[in-house]
Amino acid sequence: MQKFDFNNKSLINQYDNITYIEDSGVSFEEMTKFYSDLMQSDNGDNHDLIKANLFDYILTNAKIAIDKEDIFQEKVFDGDLIGLQRKKWLSDIKDGVLKNETLECLNAYNKYGSYRAEEDLGHTSPNTKALLKLGFKGLINRINDTIANKKLTIKQEKFYNSCKIVLNACKKLANRLSDAILPFNKENAIALKNIANSAPNNIYEAMQLIVLYFFAHEYVYKTRVRTLGRLDVLLYPFYKNDIENGIYTKADVIEMLKYFFNKFSSAKVPFGLPFAIGGLDENKNEVTNEISYLIVDVYKQMNIYSPKIHIRVSPKTPVDFIKRVLSCIINGKSSFVFINDTVTVNALKKVGICEKDALDYTPIGCYEPAVWGKEIGCTGGAGVNLVKAVEYVLSGGYDVLTGDFCTFKPAVINTYEDFYNEVKKQIKFLTDKCIDYVNTIERYYSYLGPDSMLSAQYDDSVKNGIDVLEGGATYNNTSLNFYSLASLVDCLSVVKEFVFDKKIITLTDLFTILKNNWKNNLNLRSKILKYNAKYGNENAVADKITIDVTRYLASIVNNRKNSRGGVYKASLFTIDTCFYFGKRTFATPDGRLQGETLSKNLCASLTMDKNGILSLINSVTIFDHSDFPNGSVLDVVLHPSNVSGNDGLNAFYGIVKTYFDKGGFSIHGNVFNADELKKAQQNPEKYTNLQVRVCGWNAYFVNLTKQEQDAFITQANHVS
Amino acid sequence: MKANIFEIKHFAVHDGDGIRTTLFIKGCPLKCAWCHNPEGLSVKSELAFLSHKCINCGECVNVCNFNAHSILDGKHVYSRKTCMTCGDCVDVCPEDALKLYGITYSADELLPLLLKDKDFYKNSNGGVTISGGECLTQPDFCEKLLKSLKENDIHTAVDTCGFVNKNALDKVIPYTDVFLYDVKAIDNDVHIKCTGQSNKIILENLLYLDSKNCKIEIRYPYVPNYNDTEVDKIGEFLSKLKNVTKVKVLPYHNLAGSKYTSLDLKNTLPFVLPNDEQILHAKKVLSSYGLNVVD
Ligand code: SF4
Ligand code: SF4
Repeated sequence: MQKFDFNNKSLINQYDNITYIEDSGVSFEEMTKFYSDLMQSDNGDNHDLIKANLFDYILTNAKIAIDKEDIFQEKVFDGDLIGLQRKKWLSDIKDGVLKNETLECLNAYNKYGSYRAEEDLGHTSPNTKALLKLGFKGLINRINDTIANKKLTIKQEKFYNSCKIVLNACKKLANRLSDAILPFNKENAIALKNIANSAPNNIYEAMQLIVLYFFAHEYVYKTRVRTLGRLDVLLYPFYKNDIENGIYTKADVIEMLKYFFNKFSSAKVPFGLPFAIGGLDENKNEVTNEISYLIVDVYKQMNIYSPKIHIRVSPKTPVDFIKRVLSCIINGKSSFVFINDTVTVNALKKVGICEKDALDYTPIGCYEPAVWGKEIGCTGGAGVNLVKAVEYVLSGGYDVLTGDFCTFKPAVINTYEDFYNEVKKQIKFLTDKCIDYVNTIERYYSYLGPDSMLSAQYDDSVKNGIDVLEGGATYNNTSLNFYSLASLVDCLSVVKEFVFDKKIITLTDLFTILKNNWKNNLNLRSKILKYNAKYGNENAVADKITIDVTRYLASIVNNRKNSRGGVYKASLFTIDTCFYFGKRTFATPDGRLQGETLSKNLCASLTMDKNGILSLINSVTIFDHSDFPNGSVLDVVLHPSNVSGNDGLNAFYGIVKTYFDKGGFSIHGNVFNADELKKAQQNPEKYTNLQVRVCGWNAYFVNLTKQEQDAFITQANHVS
Repeated sequence: MKANIFEIKHFAVHDGDGIRTTLFIKGCPLKCAWCHNPEGLSVKSELAFLSHKCINCGECVNVCNFNAHSILDGKHVYSRKTCMTCGDCVDVCPEDALKLYGITYSADELLPLLLKDKDFYKNSNGGVTISGGECLTQPDFCEKLLKSLKENDIHTAVDTCGFVNKNALDKVIPYTDVFLYDVKAIDNDVHIKCTGQSNKIILENLLYLDSKNCKIEIRYPYVPNYNDTEVDKIGEFLSKLKNVTKVKVLPYHNLAGSKYTSLDLKNTLPFVLPNDEQILHAKKVLSSYGLNVVD
């Protein structure tokens, strides 16, 4: 296997400037003509079929490109036609029948920062197990076997045809790429030929198949493929066989992995492309194997942040494996998240997933666990800004920054319990709004985005002839996220103490002060900031509120029915809403100024974790994380001196392990000091490689907004 | 029996193995020129006033029952003489310009604060370290606390300068898993210059601990122009001991300056900082004596 060359710019930056082979396919004009003609036949009821036909047209006729210096091929010019098609269909619904509902949601998101509700056709976990076991050809055979001698409805017929069309299209692309690369790389050409005609025979073909499949699905078919699945489980059988039979050596596989990772890194897959390694299998055996270690070792050598790696941790995961990952993070390669198998499996069981399936989960996107190749999680479409509920209680249902009436007028409030009940009612109101909209739009999924590529892999979908997005998967769930838990807890705790227990200020006066963004009341503000009963500090008052609030949140979401025959799953992470919604949220009782960042993920409000990281962890784990089956995460920031040397590695391990022993769901870490970040902010050109973990993905620090950079600096300062 | 504690440091990672909680007890018999914990020197409680943080708001004036704070011409003035170190003002200062060093605790009061992080100790091979000042100026307290910790299966470390009574050592030896032991100089004149005291007792006690088969981790604070000439002598001395498991060279830093000012103490900090080569050299020399030198 040829050696990977880190200095080869055309390899590393292959997605920056793609040169398609001139005579390899039709012109863009011809493609758009085909598209227009095809869309004439759109009758609203055949979207699976015309999407499949468009995909087939592109893979069969459009220009392709090859990378002579790479060992994997996948490039085809798609002209964003399916993107266009999807946009049209979305617009048909969202600017059509659901115009008013959609506008309301857009306002909630963009204007008020109160909730987010939209379709989620992405966030999928493909059944890469079936793909690698059967190949495109085998998947087609499986369909043929299923439908042989079976009477099909018209809808089912369309469904199966679409599946076969897209699988065949993939085969055609593999053949075309094979022919094109043949003069330059025979081995690659053979691999492509083989995956066009059969299941992969060795680890090299397996990787080529994954690459080709992924780019066809994500870049041409335009589905957000949010994980490759459990990569060590997928690749190990091939690896073992290849080593035993002398087909490839360990050194070969190391080089292959570099090319493999580079593919996703160079393509700059949005938010990074995830896959999982480690953890238990269906029979509760630990899967960590030689490939798991190789993946981490190779990753450590490369300065990339995509793919991003989910580390499943069970009580049986080898300690030295976890430490190897931690040492990557200590060295600035922080594109990892650790996920606790024990808690995750319990959480999934609570929403009706059987234990065997739950054990075979794979996190999709950031941390959201879904049964690998069996569950459609729709994990990214809905979420509620918890702090906004406090705003609406104080304002009587008005959005403070715009003056618009948004929710409802609360009842008379005499006690803290009254206040808290009203906050809960507002949260429930926003949650119901979200769920109503999502349930409504989910009924249009067969119009918006049938996914034959995915359906063709899903066992139950194929068995029953139902598209995965119409409820054909084994589990057809939807998720709803609650943003900024710590900010909410702090607001409640402050109101309890200052308004009701100590009667330092009335609710009305407090609201006036907040409307004025604390102007002329800095004294009260600093008292509030100093007040100790805050989330994340082992404070009994705040901890009690945390337990109570989280129980409530779980109770209003988990197991509610969606429109696709599945249920809702609650979660607690913020994505980028802590900034985006923070800008749209009034000054809050916890002392936060208008527009400032809200609390992130499961972290304390910025700098409010005054008692240090151990107290933070003790408090964050005070509630039952398995009540949030769509996941949650704690970000820890450590100073380099905390984790230096072997002692430091042990300390870092102690943090992760104890977080999990105490029932934490998932955790990721950043190691840096504030001075270095400040220097990077001032001299970005010198720090182009400095990575930070943002939410469920990594970014180069210098590419963040000033506000995001400042938040990292504040956090880093706080731990030094 | 109570001890005056000036800090309880959670997630301490440099005071022995793993994640530890370190207790700092006030009062030290030595007076090292480079001391970076001047708040630990006196046995008495002290209020630190960080004038650079003060915004002259007068909140502290309102709560002090002893009139130790006042605002004169719009500027805050603190009178250390009148202060009774009750700590009331600390809580009201909005800028954290006031800090109380020294709160008395009994061993029983401390125990729950130390045990709450037990899982973190266990998962990182960490535990609890008692430090100071010089903790063995309060041997009975240490004995009681260490005993309780051992009863709870917690790894224990005692951080000492060694200038203590041998009886004090005898009291804690049964309950101490490792001694973190400072060696500043072998040459007695150098030692007196550095600390104001002879090192006779210190070296005797070190030999004594070794003879008792106690696990010892040596700390050598490296301070240019003070004890940088001692490397070889320290290496030679330590090479004769059987129970030294680790040796750490601690490069001197001068970050404690503002602490001296905030406590109205005379700043004795040396000017010259060690450079990386010096530290590397010192480590190399110590290693050449067969010692396990770690970072
Ligand atoms: S510690 Fe007590 S006596 Fe001293 S200044 Fe503060 S309030 Fe006054
Ligand atoms: S309360 Fe703090 S900031 Fe205000 S005058 Fe006293 S020391 Fe200064």
